[in-house]
Amino acid sequence: MKALDELNFPEDVKYTKDHEWAKTDGDTITIGLSDYAQDQLGEIVFVELPEEGDTFDQGDEFGSVESVKAVSEIYLPISGEIVAVNEDLEDAPELVNNDCYAGGWLVKIKPEDMSEMDSLMDQGAYLDMLKG
Amino acid sequence: MNDSLKTTPLNQWHRSAGANMADFGGFDMPLWYDTGVKNEHLAVLKSAGLFDTSHMACITVLGKDAFDLINSCFTRNIDSLAPGRCVYGAFLDEQGHCIDDAIVYRFSDIRFMVCVNAGMGATIAGHLSEQKGGREADITDLTGKLAKIDIQGKNAARILSGHLKDPDTVFVPMPYFSFKGDIDPDQPGQIFLADGTPILLSRSGYTGEFGFEIFIAPDKVTALWTALLDSGKDAGLTACGLGARDSLRAGACLPLSHQDIGHFPFINHPWDFALPYTEDKTDFTKDFLGADALLSCKDADHTYAFAGDSLRKVNAGENTQVLDADGTVIGRVLTCATDMAVSWSDDAIVSINTPDLAEDVKIKGLACGFVMVDKPLDIGARLTLKEGKRSIPVRTVQDIRPDRTARLAIKNFI
Repeated sequence: MKALDELNFPEDVKYTKDHEWAKTDGDTITIGLSDYAQDQLGEIVFVELPEEGDTFDQGDEFGSVESVKAVSEIYLPISGEIVAVNEDLEDAPELVNNDCYAGGWLVKIKPEDMSEMDSLMDQGAYLDMLKG
Repeated sequence: MNDSLKTTPLNQWHRSAGANMADFGGFDMPLWYDTGVKNEHLAVLKSAGLFDTSHMACITVLGKDAFDLINSCFTRNIDSLAPGRCVYGAFLDEQGHCIDDAIVYRFSDIRFMVCVNAGMGATIAGHLSEQKGGREADITDLTGKLAKIDIQGKNAARILSGHLKDPDTVFVPMPYFSFKGDIDPDQPGQIFLADGTPILLSRSGYTGEFGFEIFIAPDKVTALWTALLDSGKDAGLTACGLGARDSLRAGACLPLSHQDIGHFPFINHPWDFALPYTEDKTDFTKDFLGADALLSCKDADHTYAFAGDSLRKVNAGENTQVLDADGTVIGRVLTCATDMAVSWSDDAIVSINTPDLAEDVKIKGLACGFVMVDKPLDIGARLTLKEGKRSIPVRTVQDIRPDRTARLAIKNFI
């Protein structure tokens, strides 16, 4: 397990207590797992994602990631409709480990209420939570 | 780190190497290193892996009745166990429930060593003392006084040979479940590392693959560990954590104590070989503690190995359900791990070590492990494993990872 200062937490995304990140990209939001989450899980061998067009409320379970060690549910940071899923993860789930903020993104959503982004943590608040 | 956790002599090495650490049996142990658990698992199958197993505990039993004491408590008949050989089995209570599994080593007719799981040294030593009665046998718990590392995989002997004094005489002959050397430097039959350190070398392990367990003094283990990794690096020797140990043992159809075997009757499971059955399997060849309970128990659950259709799995434990083909809940999941080195090919499981593997077979890994159910099943029975909203299709199997190397003759590996 890496120390927090060895992990990467970019400033331009928001974080959840369940260790997802969300980034505004025009009128869609891209969702992924934080560097802390992927490090805790270990090597990810399978990612289960929803279908395009599925809708979820904020905090709903929208899929799961499986590492060799365990299965973990993933929760949607804000309410919305899935408009894209990262199909590269089907053949290369390790992208979530190797490139969690870019190539390892999970889904893109069309948010119901963009202001829900304000309920998420910024980098500083997330780091404070991790430091406990 | 939780201060109440115990550590092995290699703890500092694990932490310096950036291992992901966790509590295992009260010890602060590495789950995996930077290499990742998948690569560690594959390294054991392709070359060799090195495991810190110093959290395990050893007990010596010495005296003219040592044999009788062990044979009256252990599920294997050690009558036929020759000096220099060891055997896997279990210690049961009166109800036939498993207290712990163990390997019994026979040095002589009056001297034995018992190797048990993390934190179980005092428990099993206490159990043997309780069962001793008027027998003449000294029981000594060596917890913390011995370190152990396991080198497992087809390159294990070649890598180890560079560190042994007289490797040629050590390795030949050295059958599966035999050992050389001693844990007491005053005994005859010592074997040594090249620098003169005495070791006990056992041709065993818990991965299903060829290799050795090395018992050594705690103050000598880090030097051996780093020297092995250094000399074995080019051959692919990889430090492995308990994650890879778990997925390798699950694929090799071996139980984890206190999870797959435990406080339930030690019967109706894939480990018949660990009980001293007569040929027709209606009786035992000896009496031992728990035998009567096992022979008279009619309604014990059944444990089966399973393999998933894919690598998708569930988190094993109390929150799981096993459903039969009719959708009836019949039990729960004891272990569910991923063996990343296997896949289905037609109706058979193949591994990366399967000879003449068809080129179009892509090895993607399979979920595997053990289920405990309330009725007997056929091998090949279709089941659904459920945990919360998740469900995966699996089938019962006779065995999981094929083409394992543990039992092959040592001449294939030197």
